[in-house]
Amino acid sequence: MATTARPLVSVKALDGDMATDAAGVPMPHVMKAPIRPDVITFVHRLVSCNSRQPYAVSRKAGHQTSAESWGTGRAVSRIPRVGGGGTHRAGQGAFGNMCRGGRMFAPTRIWRKWHRRVNVRLRRVAVASALAATAVPAIVTARGHRIESVPEFPLVVSDSAEGIEKTAQAIKVLKQLGAYADAEKAKQSVGIRPGKGKMRNRRYINRKGPLIVYGTEGSKIVKAFRNLPGVDVANVERLNLLDLAPGGHLGRFVIWTESAFKKLDEVYGSFEASSSKKKGFVLPRPKMTNADLGRLINSDEVQSVVKPINKEVKRREARKNPLKNAAAVLKLNPYFGTARRMAVLAEAARVKARKEKINSKRTKLSEEASKIKAAGKAWYQTMISDSDYTEFDVFSKWLGVSQ
Amino acid sequence: MSSEAAKVVVPESVLLKRKREELWAAEKKTKAVEEKKKSSENIKVIYARAKQYAEEYDAQDKELVQLKREARMKGGFYVSPEAKLLFVVRIRGINAMHPKTKKILQLLRLRQIFNGVFLKVNKATINMLRRVEPYVAYGYPNLKSVRELIYKRGYGKLNKQRIPLTNNKVIEQGLGKHNIICIEDLVHEILTVGPHFKEANNFLWPFKLKAPLGGLKKKRNHYVEGGDAGNRENYINQLVRRMN
Repeated sequence: MATTARPLVSVKALDGDMATDAAGVPMPHVMKAPIRPDVITFVHRLVSCNSRQPYAVSRKAGHQTSAESWGTGRAVSRIPRVGGGGTHRAGQGAFGNMCRGGRMFAPTRIWRKWHRRVNVRLRRVAVASALAATAVPAIVTARGHRIESVPEFPLVVSDSAEGIEKTAQAIKVLKQLGAYADAEKAKQSVGIRPGKGKMRNRRYINRKGPLIVYGTEGSKIVKAFRNLPGVDVANVERLNLLDLAPGGHLGRFVIWTESAFKKLDEVYGSFEASSSKKKGFVLPRPKMTNADLGRLINSDEVQSVVKPINKEVKRREARKNPLKNAAAVLKLNPYFGTARRMAVLAEAARVKARKEKINSKRTKLSEEASKIKAAGKAWYQTMISDSDYTEFDVFSKWLGVSQ
Repeated sequence: MSSEAAKVVVPESVLLKRKREELWAAEKKTKAVEEKKKSSENIKVIYARAKQYAEEYDAQDKELVQLKREARMKGGFYVSPEAKLLFVVRIRGINAMHPKTKKILQLLRLRQIFNGVFLKVNKATINMLRRVEPYVAYGYPNLKSVRELIYKRGYGKLNKQRIPLTNNKVIEQGLGKHNIICIEDLVHEILTVGPHFKEANNFLWPFKLKAPLGGLKKKRNHYVEGGDAGNRENYINQLVRRMN
């Protein structure tokens, strides 16, 4: 992986610092490690098991009786029953998980496997990934930290912060850095835990605020920030995944001191050089060197071999019955139109020819004879209509008289 | 300020992409023009063929009448040649069948009741039909039956899918290599059992007919006994009218 130009991170000076003209600290390589939420959830889940305290029921619970079954023939169930007399307890069922005062099913034992081992490299990779996530303001905001007023990301503070002794001063420093909003959110979120935890010495819960990371051993900074709710302090040589990704969620808001920030390269190494503090540890390489899908797709190398875009949606043709639908027939058989027309014309011609032929064969009546015939027909019509009722519409219909 | 705005830097990949898109658009246009020309030419060909077939069928009818008259004049009889084409309809359902007859019906593509297929007449097919006689009704279809079946209930087998014959393009896609490019070509090939009858018939999906209006007489018996099964020669056409 080529050494990309590493951005410079400017160091925030606190009130009372000497004004320096330092350009800034180059970004340590850890911050460019691949961000792997899957690795972090996996490791976080396992590592969270490691501070568990065993719980179990008493070994003797439910067995401190000398109960024996009464056997059959006594009209009672065969569960072992407490012997003796003179008390309610006599004759009651014992030992079974279904019995009152009996031992539970599968009594919990202390030799349950409480802790989980995680591979060293996996643990280190998870921490590196979590550190990389703390440098991305989008992820940190998504985790819920209030970083609107923070001037630069990652936030690095000059080493004078390590000398702070009083909490009041610590708060002032946070306000200067624009990080107080997050700390205040944590302070206001203190509340009583829902559930049985409140009566098991875990009464109060609160949100997580910023994580302060310092570089020199034994700094007074620890004591100064210790009392602020939600604010955690950590030495850069002993960073904890449970602090960097609380709840398995990436992107804790981290405030670095200058010496801590500079030490990161020593502690975690780079992509080529192994770390000096962690034997043989080299930062994990990402799966894709260029993960910008947009640039990849629109690059010339890809676009030059791509087929033209096809936006036409091929829908199925509506099926029309060609025996009924004229357009459908013509689509299939363009000759149909002419064929039909010719057939119709031929039929008309045929009918006409037949009529003429028959007419020509009929005996022609003379004019006189045809007049007489017509008169006779008219007389017949008058005979069949009843003149008394021709005024009424109803009857004229029956009579067949055309009025 | 205006000079800066005029010299907008366009990345090289965008320029190349633009050129490529122009090329594609030009190609698409020429292709569309070509296709249109081809289809308009095709229509002329199809029209000519349909006309030719219409004349052919007319001529056949007239010839038959003429030959019959000739024979009658001479005091003899004209025996028309045996039919080459059969239309077979399955009239019985699917249950309680002997496996061998079931297999033969499957080979004839009659897997469902009231499915119909065209069949060439030869020794092999006749013997097959004899084996499945109680399950089918068959006969010799005429032009109207063939045409109406293919027009109304014709579906083609394209890429193993049952595609309706809405367009001559479907037929051309399926049977273009045998010079059958329109529905009239297909009808002619089936009716006259041409050289590519096998391909044309196989292209046609088995016809799914409706149950005959007016009913069947008696499925269980042979046609000659007053029932419906078996060979009913030319009366199959009446059955097809009722089932189409």
